[in-house]
Amino acid sequence: MKRLLCLLLSLVMIMSLTVGCGKETTEDATSTPQSQDTSSPTPEPEKVVLKLGIWPEPTLTDDIAVHEGYVERFNELYPNVEVVPAHYKYATDTFVPMAEAGNCPTIFETWFTEPQKLIAGEFIADITDNLKARGWDKAMNPSIRELLSKDGRIYGTPRDGYALGIMLNVELFEEAGLVDENGYPLYPKTWDELAETAKKIKDATGQAGLCLLAKDNAGGWHWSNIAWCFGATLTIDNGDGTFTANLNSPEAIAAMNYVKDLKWKYDVLTADPLNEDWGTGFTALGTGTAAMYIAANDAVNQPTQVNGLPLDKLAMCAIPEGPGGQYSLFGGTPYVFANNATYEEIEAALNYLEIMGQAPVASDEAIAGMRAGAQNKVANGVPVIPRFPSWIDQEVLDAEAKIIEEFGNVDTNMYQSYFDATKSDGNLRMEEPGLTQDMYAEITKVLQAVIIDPDADVEALLNKANENYQSLLDQTFKK
Amino acid sequence: MVKANTLNRNNKTKFKRQDLVGWLVMLPSLILFAFFVWEPLLESIRLSLYSAKGIRLQEFVGLENYIRLFRHPDFLAAFRNTFLYIFYSLIIGFMVPIVMAVLISETVHLKSFFRVGVYFPNMVPGMATIMMWSFFFRPGNTGVLNILLSKVGISPQVWLNNPKWTIPLIIITMTWKSAGSTSLIYMAGISRISSELYEAATIDGAGIWQRVRHIIVPSIFSLAKTLLILQIISVFQILYEPLVMTNGGPNNASISLMMLTYNYAFRDFNYPMGAALSVVICAILIVLSGIYTKLTKDKE
Repeated sequence: MKRLLCLLLSLVMIMSLTVGCGKETTEDATSTPQSQDTSSPTPEPEKVVLKLGIWPEPTLTDDIAVHEGYVERFNELYPNVEVVPAHYKYATDTFVPMAEAGNCPTIFETWFTEPQKLIAGEFIADITDNLKARGWDKAMNPSIRELLSKDGRIYGTPRDGYALGIMLNVELFEEAGLVDENGYPLYPKTWDELAETAKKIKDATGQAGLCLLAKDNAGGWHWSNIAWCFGATLTIDNGDGTFTANLNSPEAIAAMNYVKDLKWKYDVLTADPLNEDWGTGFTALGTGTAAMYIAANDAVNQPTQVNGLPLDKLAMCAIPEGPGGQYSLFGGTPYVFANNATYEEIEAALNYLEIMGQAPVASDEAIAGMRAGAQNKVANGVPVIPRFPSWIDQEVLDAEAKIIEEFGNVDTNMYQSYFDATKSDGNLRMEEPGLTQDMYAEITKVLQAVIIDPDADVEALLNKANENYQSLLDQTFKK
Repeated sequence: MVKANTLNRNNKTKFKRQDLVGWLVMLPSLILFAFFVWEPLLESIRLSLYSAKGIRLQEFVGLENYIRLFRHPDFLAAFRNTFLYIFYSLIIGFMVPIVMAVLISETVHLKSFFRVGVYFPNMVPGMATIMMWSFFFRPGNTGVLNILLSKVGISPQVWLNNPKWTIPLIIITMTWKSAGSTSLIYMAGISRISSELYEAATIDGAGIWQRVRHIIVPSIFSLAKTLLILQIISVFQILYEPLVMTNGGPNNASISLMMLTYNYAFRDFNYPMGAALSVVICAILIVLSGIYTKLTKDKE
C-alpha cells in the first residue's frame, strides 16, 4: 500500500513537471489558427507593432502624458501601426538575455558607451537603408554618425549630442562669496584656478569643491578629458589597425599628479571618491555636498529635476584650460533598434521620432513635438538650454533655437562660457580610439591608487596601466 | 555496501521494484538537475572554446579564451584575492558560529532569545546588509564608524579604502550576516549530544572548559569539517559584496574571480571569456573538494 502511494506520488510529481513544460505548446496550438482566422478575411496591410522602449518610466507621469500626446498624433497619421508602450531602461546585466530571447523593444535608448559593443554583438539593427531613403544619413552630425557606425553602416540615431563641461552649484559659490557684482559665479578658467576655487569653497562652506569620480569607468572617462587639457593623447592610432597605449606620457603623469594634488594638497574632493559614480556625482552637486562636477549639457535634469537643485542655482562653465589646451569630450546618446525589427517597424519608430521632434525634419508635427518636450521641461523645473547639434539640418536648428528662446527658463549667462567654448574650433574631441572602456578601467585603478595613498608613485602606476592596456590592445588588434 | 550487495543477491526481484520506486522519486529532481545544472555546465564548457556574438557561437577557437584570460591584467589580482577572501573568512568567520553555538547551548536563561538574536542579521536582505555596512565604513566625517570614533577622540579612518583592510572588512560584514545561520546548525549538532554525557561529566566534576573540550568539540568535529568545505566553496564564489561595496577597488584590492566573470559577461557582453573563467573556477573547486574528501577519507 505504502509503495503504491509512493509510486503514485512520484508519478504525480513527474506529470506536474511535464505539464509545466507543455503548457506553452498547447497555447500556441490554439492561438495560431485564431490569428490566421482574423487576418485572412481582411486584406488590409498587416498591422505593424511598434514597441516603444523609449516610453518614460511609470513614475514620470508628466512625461507619459507628453508621450500619450505623441501617440495620439501618431495614430492619426499612421493608423496601421499599433504603438505598444514598453518602457525599457537599458542595463548591461539584463540586456543580453532579453535581446537573445527576441524580446527587445523596437526602439530603445542606450548609454553613450554602448553602441560599438552592441553593433559588434549584432544586437541592434542596421538602419542605413531606412536613413538613406529619408536622407537622414546626410543630416546627421558626422562625428556622431561615426560613433554609431561600423564599416560604413549606421546603427542608430542620436537623441542628444553632449560635450563635457563643469556644472556649478551656485548656492555654494554664493556662500563662499565667489560671485561677481551681477551674481554670476566666478567660475575657474584653468585647472589651477579650479583647484584654488574648490579650496576656497571647501574652506568657506565645508563642502567639497569638486566631485571626482573613481568608482567605475566613468572615472577614467572624466579623467581623459583632464589629461587632454594637460596635453596628453592616451591612445595612438597606428593607422594599420593597431593601437599604441600612451598612458604614461609626461603630460598624462602631470594630469594624474594634478588629481593627486586635488586630494592631498588641496583636499577638495568629496569624502569617498572611490564610491562616486555618474549618478552620485549629480546627487552631490544637486544636494550641495559638492560645488563642481564634470558633466554634460544633456544631463541638466539630473541635478535639478532628480536631485532638487533650484533652476536658477545651476550654472555650467567650460572645461578649464590646461597647459596643453582646452578640450571638451564630445559624444552622443543614441536611440537604437532591435536587431529583429523589420524595415516597416524601424520606419514606424523613425516616424515616431519625427513626431517627438527628434529627427532632422522641421515639419509641423516635429515642431509641435519639440514644443511639447520643452513645455514639459519647464513644468518640471528642468533647464531648457540648447542641445548639441546632433542633426545638422539648418531648418531644424532654427526651429529648435526658436523654441528655446520661447521656453527658455534659465539665464543664458549662466551657461555662456560653456556654449562659447564648445562652439570654438578644435574644442570638441571624440573619445580615445582603441579599447576605450578597458583604458578607462585601467585609469580608474590608478585614480583609486593615488586618491587613497599620498605616497603613490604616479609614474610607476601609469607605467603599469600602460603595460596592461597595451597587452589588451595587442591581444585584440592583430596586424 | 557489501551488506547491500548480499541482500540484493538474496531478494533480487524485490529490490528491483524498490529500485524503480527510488528512481521514480528521484526522477523529477534528476530532470531538473539535468536541465538547470548539468546541461548549462556542459554548454558553458563548449561556449568557452568558441568565439561568440552575444551567446551565438561563431567559430571554434580552442583554448584561446583561456590564454587571453590568464593574460588579463586583472586575473592574477582576482585569483590572489579570492584565496585571500577564503583565508580571512576562515580566520575571522570560521570560529565565530562555533563559539556562538557553544555559548548559547551553555546558556540557561533566555536561550531562545539569544538564538533568535544571532539569527536576526540573516533575515536582513543581503543587499540591505551591504548598503548598511557601506554607510558604517564611509570614510570622512559622515561615516557611522567615524562618527562613533570621533566621540572618543580618534581621527576618521578610511576603512575600505585602505587596501590592507578591504578584504577583512568585507569578510566581517559577511560574517555578521551569516554566522547566525551556521551557528544554528552547530546548535542542532550540540543538542544531539546525549545529556547523559553531560550529567556524567558534571558529576565527575568537569567544568565548562572540560565539557567543551571533551564532549562538544569531538561531537561536532565531523559537522565542522563539512561546514568548512561548504564555507570555502561559498566564499570562493564571492561576488556581490565587493561588487557593491568597493566595485573591486581600491586598485583591484578586492576584485574576486566571480566579479571578473560578472564583468566579462554582464559588462562587456564577452560570454566566451566569462564561460572560460567559470570553467576555471569550477575546476579549482573540484580540486579543492577532491583534496578535502581525500583528507577526510584518510582520517576515517
